[in-house]
Amino acid sequence: MSRRDPPSARPGGDEPPDWALPSWDALPEDEPAPRATRPVPATETSEALIRPRPGLIPDQFRPAILGVTEVTHVIRDAVRADERLRDVWVEGEVGRVTISSAGHAYFTLKDERSQLSCIWFRDDRLVSPFEPRTGLRVVAHGRIDVFDQQGVYQLYVSSVQPAGFGDLALRFEELKARLAAEGLFDAARKRPLPLRPAVIAVATSASGAVWHDIRHVLERRWPLAEVVLAACQVQGEPAPTSIVAALARIARYAEGCVAAGRPADAPVVTILARGGGSLEDLWSFNDERVVRAIVAHPLPLVCAVGHETDVTLADFAADVRAPTPSAAAEIVVPDRVQVAAGLAAEAQRLTGVAQRTVSAARRELDAERRALDGLRPADRLAQARERAGVLLDRATRTVLEQLGMARAAEQRAEARLRPIVAIRLGAAHASLDAGAAALAVLGPQATLDRGYAIVRRSDDGRILRRADDARAGVMLTIRLAAGELGATSDGPLEPG
Amino acid sequence: MPPDIANLTFDEALAELQRTVAELEAGGGPLEASIAGYERGVALHERCAVLLADAELRVRRLVERAGGALEAVELRSDDEALPDGQG
Repeated sequence: MSRRDPPSARPGGDEPPDWALPSWDALPEDEPAPRATRPVPATETSEALIRPRPGLIPDQFRPAILGVTEVTHVIRDAVRADERLRDVWVEGEVGRVTISSAGHAYFTLKDERSQLSCIWFRDDRLVSPFEPRTGLRVVAHGRIDVFDQQGVYQLYVSSVQPAGFGDLALRFEELKARLAAEGLFDAARKRPLPLRPAVIAVATSASGAVWHDIRHVLERRWPLAEVVLAACQVQGEPAPTSIVAALARIARYAEGCVAAGRPADAPVVTILARGGGSLEDLWSFNDERVVRAIVAHPLPLVCAVGHETDVTLADFAADVRAPTPSAAAEIVVPDRVQVAAGLAAEAQRLTGVAQRTVSAARRELDAERRALDGLRPADRLAQARERAGVLLDRATRTVLEQLGMARAAEQRAEARLRPIVAIRLGAAHASLDAGAAALAVLGPQATLDRGYAIVRRSDDGRILRRADDARAGVMLTIRLAAGELGATSDGPLEPG
Repeated sequence: MPPDIANLTFDEALAELQRTVAELEAGGGPLEASIAGYERGVALHERCAVLLADAELRVRRLVERAGGALEAVELRSDDEALPDGQG
């Protein structure tokens, strides 16, 4: 509060209470405090002189004589009853400003012909970003009330804004309504941002903290990107033209990259940013030319102007509004750490599917081995092989080839997988060693089904392998896919 | 012939990795093809991880040449003071 103590403040106990401080310019300092106009009755006699004796004059003809407080209350009630005075905006020039040690501000608002005394209490004053100073034109908002002790009416101020703010606000609302009616702010025309942009364009001042902040956020979150600056002025009178030109440069550069056959170099998203500032500083971002350039910009655009509470028409026109420039950079790129986590999950899936593939192959081999185990003891196997005989050789070769291929593939697979996935294929290999014997599972029937036949001597049941095993006249039994035939050999056609 | 993994961008490598995993999960191919797919998947993953770990933000500035041609000029020093509204 000391920051606003007037130089004239008297020290210590000399200081008058707040209400007694001079609060308007017109009152000369040396004028004595206003006196009650009604003479104070000093004696019974003077009282008797002024007051008519009761009964002499009927009450209704007596002049109504009021006390000061009564008059003040009548005025006060009249003021309070008037709705126009309860919620007023008053524009004027600030006269002398006095701030009491309690922190309340006393000042006058003047125009050519009148003045109005104002009081702005400390609590309201301290939350205001704006401070009235002598000579400024301001708009004060508050209520008119009467201060009994001094017999004055004054404006009890709730807020003060620089004059002209109303004009800006009005122009803002008017332009906003007009552009909204054109559909420039429609949610339907908002474009989605690319997921992981390779090239990001930034239109901002090259010398400000904003450009620095955006770079650092991008560096931290997604350094795989490239960022291209299109420098522009972001405040002052040339700013709107400069911003429009920067957006046009970005568009032209992106187009040029594509036309030159380097589409990977073309920016795919644009950030338009400016740091915090006064309403006037940010005003370029309410410029119609800027708004239209944003709408016409070929790339999705993120707008970040000022602080979170600042809203400009550029924000409405942008595809995405970010509360601050740093936030714009965060919105535009993914977080490297999160992407790394996603990548790890993908690797997990990859390893999982490889493990399942290999174990499925192993299960097939295990199944064959179990089938083989079921055929033991060895004599049964031998018998089966004997029955199948030469006709199985062909099938044997075929299946052995297949198994061999699978085995070779697994060996290669294991060599590749070993460093990354610790999968033991040893068991699978063991079962492959017994793979040849597993052919018995097939049995002769499958071969017979394909049109082959098994020929035995009827006398001893031996399977014939050579022509001279059955000279002419030997009785034969021929086994077919279904049933057996009896036959007699005519002897070998050619000498074996 | 698939493109050389070392030349893939992050997005290309990640997209192919996701495709590869989906194909492997769908199954059906011969063991040989699965193993080859797995091998490529591992290489793609490594490519992505290296890009994520080693990347350095490239910073450039659009400069307008005489005749209106635009060029993106590499910026190195962190706090180069540059006039606005030019280039």
